[in-house]
Amino acid sequence: MKEFAPLLHGYWYLFRGAGMTLLMAASAIVPATLCGILLAMAQVFGNRFARSAVVAYLFVIRGIPLLVLLTFTYYLLPLTGIDLPPFWGVVVVLSLYYAAFMSEVFRAGILSLPRGQWDAARSLGMTRQQMLHIVIFPQALRLASPPFVSLCANLVKATSLVSVVGLWELTMASREIVERTLAPFQIFIGAAAIYFCICYTLALYGRHLERSVLHGH
Amino acid sequence: MPFDPHFIARLIPALLEGAEVTVELAILTFAICLVWGLIVALANSTHGPLSWIAGAYIQIVRNTPLLIQMYIVYFGFSMIGFGLSGFASGLLALCIQNGGYVAEIYRGGLQSVSPRQYEAGRALGMRRWTLYTSVVIPQVIARIVPPMTNQAISITKDTSQVAAIAVMDMMKVAQVWVESSANTYDVFLGVAIIYLVLTSVASAAGKLFERRLAFAQ
Repeated sequence: MKEFAPLLHGYWYLFRGAGMTLLMAASAIVPATLCGILLAMAQVFGNRFARSAVVAYLFVIRGIPLLVLLTFTYYLLPLTGIDLPPFWGVVVVLSLYYAAFMSEVFRAGILSLPRGQWDAARSLGMTRQQMLHIVIFPQALRLASPPFVSLCANLVKATSLVSVVGLWELTMASREIVERTLAPFQIFIGAAAIYFCICYTLALYGRHLERSVLHGH
Repeated sequence: MPFDPHFIARLIPALLEGAEVTVELAILTFAICLVWGLIVALANSTHGPLSWIAGAYIQIVRNTPLLIQMYIVYFGFSMIGFGLSGFASGLLALCIQNGGYVAEIYRGGLQSVSPRQYEAGRALGMRRWTLYTSVVIPQVIARIVPPMTNQAISITKDTSQVAAIAVMDMMKVAQVWVESSANTYDVFLGVAIIYLVLTSVASAAGKLFERRLAFAQ
């Protein structure tokens, strides 16, 4: 186990990096979810203009790598004169990027409800507002929850990219330790193990949710 | 000066040269993963230790960031004696990660064929070979084309991460040009448009293939 000595010296630093990764992911998940729900609503219930605007947004976001958007935000922010700390800059980019994928998940949740649910709500004399609040949203959100959780795991993995534009989190922390200890194999495997613990926990939770959605309770 | 025609005339050939590397990486990764993913999926569907290893592989590669996998291959392997070039490390890491995703797509496709189909084939007196080639595999292929198309798009975008291990793909070329020219808008637009074209081509190819299959059925 002597080979893993560098990891023993660096693990506390890695854990601090992991804390930053979680903070960044959590800060992005909240606005991404809200924007995703808004985009999904606009696409399902909006008029033709709103629908095509959302489709255009999804096309652009889904066709460009996140790394391109992060890199150019890093270079463009100073040029546009927007005074935003880098942390919030990347949180905005991550949110806007993942909002596109979230909206797909929520849209699928809304659309996969059987027509009978809409008809039943209407036949009970519910207003549109009541129909959405009481009948549609609770069920759609439950259907959307398993893919939502796996998207969150994806977002945690994606935060590793912000190290390329110089932000400090788990991947950057591991690179710093590698520069000091010259033990890339051990340190990066240590970092991978931490990412695995976070993402696999989310994956297991997603599978649990999926089972409970399938069995209807 | 944004939108300087002389600058753009020099920029585009450079970006296209980088795009060549991007396309090469994407096609090689997708082709290798189609085979490697199938091997992993088949190993995973057996009973015993082989299935256990394949399952662990899938979970590990899917729940750790691609960037960390690239660092392990690029920096880690050179530390323990067999260094690979940036391109080879990038390709290997892309295949390692996407092989896990592709294996899951195959698994989903195989599971979607109901046991009744096998029973019906056997009841008609089909041999094992005929059963697979004329009943099971056509249905599996029809079901995996849409998720495979998404995976191809995601691979195309993922190739941008090789820029972090000094491969001159389109992302890296763009970084170099932004840093040496400070003409951020032009470079950003150019890169974004080329990536959009590449992912749209992948998406269109998938749609075309899907329509062909629908027609054949």
